[in-house]
Amino acid sequence: MNSNKPTAYNNRLGLKGWVYAGRYTFERYLYLGHRLSGMGLIAYMVLHIIETANRMRGVEAWQGLMALFASWPFKIIEYLLFAAAVFHAMNGVRLLMTELGFFLGKPKEPVYPYSSSVMRHRPLTYIIMALAGLLIILGGSSLFFP
Amino acid sequence: MRETRLWSLHLLVIPIIAILLGAHFALMHYAPIFYGVSVEEARNFETMIERGKSVAQLVLYILLLAAGLYHGLYGMRGILRELPLTPALAKLVDWGILSFGIFIFALGAYVTWWTFSFKIGG
Repeated sequence: MNSNKPTAYNNRLGLKGWVYAGRYTFERYLYLGHRLSGMGLIAYMVLHIIETANRMRGVEAWQGLMALFASWPFKIIEYLLFAAAVFHAMNGVRLLMTELGFFLGKPKEPVYPYSSSVMRHRPLTYIIMALAGLLIILGGSSLFFP
Repeated sequence: MRETRLWSLHLLVIPIIAILLGAHFALMHYAPIFYGVSVEEARNFETMIERGKSVAQLVLYILLLAAGLYHGLYGMRGILRELPLTPALAKLVDWGILSFGIFIFALGAYVTWWTFSFKIGG
């Protein structure tokens, strides 16, 4: 048997593994969202660093860039960035809690009907995501209607 | 052990990012609510230069730069390394991400230093 061959067991499904939810449903989509928002945020951060270097070209170059950012399309992009950051941070809090074993319940005998730690964790998942949604709405209302 | 250290550092920088990025958002994107000034005023060239002259700002921005880039690029490395790569390609990903991170960090740190040492009217 070739042990280097990619299989579902060694977590090497490649790109398909990113979007296939399997039996984890909601948490799996949060995982996908976490990845997408993370990639978006790091891409933005790199662009942001390059763009802020524009200040070295002087006042006019900087003010021109800021005027561009004050336009509606950029305000929407800025809001999407904020939403991605809030989602990524809140889901990150959930992942940290899972990683550190909080709210997963105590291990117990596997007696039918089985209760998984994912299900025990789910109410917290809903609370954290509701909070993220609330922050995203509040952030939007402040950004668009200051 | 090396991977454990890298992973732990990835988690340890989270509070730094949360606090400093939160402050950055409050200052640059939500200035009317948190500072009582318009966004335009907060992003004005003179205001930005004046703010950048503070040592605290210099240190904190470089810290945010390092923490954000490390967290983000480490995450990116993890995503890329999940793909079925040959060991040589995996090494290339590691070195590519490290070099890119150092380059972007150097650029960001230089811009922050440039702002700090900018002489108004000079």
